[in-house]
Amino acid sequence: MHKLALSFKNRELSLLVILVFTIGLTSLINPRFITGSGTRDLFSSTAVVALLAIGIAPIVIMRHIDLSISSTVGFSAWIVAAQCAAHPNYKVWQAFIIGPAVGLCVGIVNGLLVAGLRLPSLVVTLGTLYIVRGLDYVVSNSVDYNSQDLPKSLMKLGETTYFGLVPFPFVLVIIFMILASLYMKFRKAGRDRYAIGSNPPAAELVGIKVFRRTFLSFVFSGTTAGLAGVLYLMRFAQVDATAFYGQELAVVAAVVIGGISINGGIGTAQGAVIGALLVQTIQGGLSALGVDAFWKQAINGALLIVALFSDRVLARRSERALLAQRIKERA
Amino acid sequence: MESTVTSKGDLVLAISGLQKRFGGAIALSNANLTIRAGEIHALLGENGAGKSTMLKILAGVHTPDGGTLNLEGKPFITGSTQTSIDQGIAVIYQEPSLFLDLTLAENVFIGRQPMKGAKIDWNFAQEESARLFKQLGVELDPKRIARGLSIADQQVVEIAKALSMDAKVILMDEPTAALSSSEVDRLMTVMRSLRDSNKAVIFVSHRLDEVFAISDFITVMRDGATVSEAKVGATDLQKVIKDMVGRELTELFPKTENKIGEVVLEVNDVTNPAYFRNISFKVRKGEIVALAGLVGSGRSEVARAIFGIDDYETGTVTVKGKLMAKNNPVTAMNQGMALVPEDRRQQGLFMVASVNKNISMESFGNLMKGLFIDFGKERALSETWKQKLSIKYDNQRDPVERLSGGNQQKTVLAKWLATDPDILIVDEPTRGIDVGTKAEVHRLLNQAASEGKAILMISSELPEVLGMADRIIVMREGRQVAEFSRSEATQEKVIAAATSSAKVGAN
Repeated sequence: MHKLALSFKNRELSLLVILVFTIGLTSLINPRFITGSGTRDLFSSTAVVALLAIGIAPIVIMRHIDLSISSTVGFSAWIVAAQCAAHPNYKVWQAFIIGPAVGLCVGIVNGLLVAGLRLPSLVVTLGTLYIVRGLDYVVSNSVDYNSQDLPKSLMKLGETTYFGLVPFPFVLVIIFMILASLYMKFRKAGRDRYAIGSNPPAAELVGIKVFRRTFLSFVFSGTTAGLAGVLYLMRFAQVDATAFYGQELAVVAAVVIGGISINGGIGTAQGAVIGALLVQTIQGGLSALGVDAFWKQAINGALLIVALFSDRVLARRSERALLAQRIKERA
Repeated sequence: MESTVTSKGDLVLAISGLQKRFGGAIALSNANLTIRAGEIHALLGENGAGKSTMLKILAGVHTPDGGTLNLEGKPFITGSTQTSIDQGIAVIYQEPSLFLDLTLAENVFIGRQPMKGAKIDWNFAQEESARLFKQLGVELDPKRIARGLSIADQQVVEIAKALSMDAKVILMDEPTAALSSSEVDRLMTVMRSLRDSNKAVIFVSHRLDEVFAISDFITVMRDGATVSEAKVGATDLQKVIKDMVGRELTELFPKTENKIGEVVLEVNDVTNPAYFRNISFKVRKGEIVALAGLVGSGRSEVARAIFGIDDYETGTVTVKGKLMAKNNPVTAMNQGMALVPEDRRQQGLFMVASVNKNISMESFGNLMKGLFIDFGKERALSETWKQKLSIKYDNQRDPVERLSGGNQQKTVLAKWLATDPDILIVDEPTRGIDVGTKAEVHRLLNQAASEGKAILMISSELPEVLGMADRIIVMREGRQVAEFSRSEATQEKVIAAATSSAKVGAN
């Protein structure tokens, strides 16, 4: 029994091993990958997806999904850029208010529709994905912004590195990861989310506040997506209405690869971050090999399926182990 | 448990004139229930009598339309599961509602996790759960996840949960339906200890022998109203059945002597090491053979292997002299085999489809007109079987999920009988259905046998096994341990064979 509990906890550990192995493999192709600047690149290129993965982790654990995040990132980035361009004396912290505020609004809409009206999250967030992107096109009116329009201090913060390795955006990711992880493990509200994903009807029966948990999870996801929009600006220093278009599936892939079960009830924020790093490393490795961008998309998709498949295999294996154990206990 | 000041015999829960309707349907018209502390109270009634509705009102799932509810002299507040829990009501549902991905300790304390500062105190939760499991006589590991637990152990976790929240009233909705007889004994011990610690236990069951064995008080409901309330000593089986059905039920097992013909199904030394070994038996035309044994003894797995759903490693299955291919249910069906599975909701029926569609589902081959299904024929076929089995429903377009459990079971039977099988395998044919329907299902099985079908019946209910079968094969831990003819079989012999023989030898 203890062994089973262990193998479950070890899901993140084994992912970490796979990540190190993949980084090692990629470094064989491209030795620069393992140097300080290579690692720094990995962290800064992963930050946006990793933050989004942390954001949707509780939702996926609750057996829901949020596909609207990539549109929210794009919209938030554009609004922040527009505001900063219009008010040159804006301080950096103001960007960190505006972006998440945009995301908060999207999150509230998603949350009300999914938790309040009990509509399926897949369809609701597919709808808001298009609505928010549509808004982005309308509001931006073909105006785009680049580094000249953006506050220098914001760009500088994006390049600030700690311990020579970890850029500021990824520091944010780590802080979010630790907080989310502690919350999900040690707070009632966190455990409720696992219960909801594990057995939704039973969650109602034991008196769990399903509406509140679901609603707030979408609000959290939306807000982190808004924050991710600011990180996007910091990294790319330019934005138009197509920013981060179609990237939601990369986030879903990261989450699933990170060991969060699409059937709910299982997974952690650490897993989500490791999953994001893994996806990014594989992408980096493919670039190093000179693989065409179109193929990279296809490989991304294949990775997602492999992750789902291994999730299934893991589940079946643990089911068998439990069964064998029962037979043994009886004998 | 010291926090309850109630002592034995104190009135805990008083319900009177309870009413509830769903749309046009009246679920409860005038339900009464009086429960005292330190009492095991059986709530009986046929499916659709309103027991579940009353339990769900107490659980806070439904809000009543009328009537009064008092808990320890104060009005009982309905309408929210959390409020019910707060008022000291714990419900153990027929289908355990554990969170399979979470640990047992977490399942016990879900929604009420012990805190140490800002953090959940996992150590305390685990120690306390271990203590409760020990108190209940089942030492489960609080750190393991719930997935993979047997139904009986899942119930233990549910009961531990009820104890940990110091519930005053514990409602159990058919807790024994899925248990083997040794597990039922264990549960009864637990129920008695709950009673002795002055809990009020409400217990719904269709197994009347158990009801008389354990309860102190019996309330019978019929058509949404309470029809009788009596101490166990002041009533008897016949009266209770009469109250439930509203008429005298002559015979539960209308066994007819059928002409037994040639061997139709022969199972020879079939083995799947994970579940069963060296299983060999024959079923003849017109014969009902029962596979008895504890839940988990491998009976259902044998049935699944014979029907070709699961694989087996060695051995052969022969149908009417023809060797059957392994792992191929389609061939099995073509050879005239039918399997009515144990779990009708998940495996036996398409819950959202109509009764007609469900009945005709396996008979499409005979209903075609060219490339398309002849809906006229389909309707005719379904009507015939609905009448033969007297399946009751409001509207023929209604999805099967709206039917009562008994009518659902009859629909599954109809589906397979419509294919006119030579071999009918039924797995727990009357689990969770009421006495009246039970008798009808038994009549149908007998009728099928008299028409020359070979029937293999898996059942955990001994009276059913003894009353129905021509021959009884007993399995224990995946092995075939005994075989009795109808005349030599007794309850004691079958139980002795199904449980450890050493243990029985010792008493």
